[in-house]
Amino acid sequence: MNELVFFAICFVVLALTLLYRLIKGPSVVDRAVSADSIDILADMALILFALYSGRGIYLDIALVTAVLGFIGSVLVSRYLEGRL
Amino acid sequence: MRIAIDILIACSVFFAFAGVVGMLRMPDSFCRMQSSTNVATFGVLGVVIGGFLYALTVLHDTSMAVKIAVLGVFYIVTNPIAGHAIAKAAYRHGVRPEKEMTVDKYGEDLEQND
Repeated sequence: MNELVFFAICFVVLALTLLYRLIKGPSVVDRAVSADSIDILADMALILFALYSGRGIYLDIALVTAVLGFIGSVLVSRYLEGRL
Repeated sequence: MRIAIDILIACSVFFAFAGVVGMLRMPDSFCRMQSSTNVATFGVLGVVIGGFLYALTVLHDTSMAVKIAVLGVFYIVTNPIAGHAIAKAAYRHGVRPEKEMTVDKYGEDLEQND
């Protein structure tokens, strides 16, 4: 059961590594893409932690952040196209 | 069964690691976008399938399994849409690949329509 937390920590470390691209990224697109990826990696860590603790509430949080991440990236792309 | 689930999740961690390394080291924006889809497809798929099997066989909790399956289907459906929208927006925003392009059909279409 402990290995799930180990994998979740791996995902969190990967998400923290992506913060470098979020801060430094030369263009707006890099920042949007890396923010979307950080969202996905945090969702994976939430799924694994939900399985570890046996509580379904973390899966609801993961579902909400997934929907919000998709809407956010589509919104940013519409804004960059100038058709918002 | 536990070993199979662990192997699935470890594969997923490996693909997510490869995608993150690509996003940090690739030379231009479109290459970085391409390796971010590596995180979004294989990085998600292993955790979703492994978590589904874990919730069904180890925890015997059907509601968690259904939620994880819904999450996986949502990711599989929405990630190509978001990637396409971001790539199109990047082109129209003025981001170009590092090397000179030899074929640029989308730019020709935009010039014809304007």
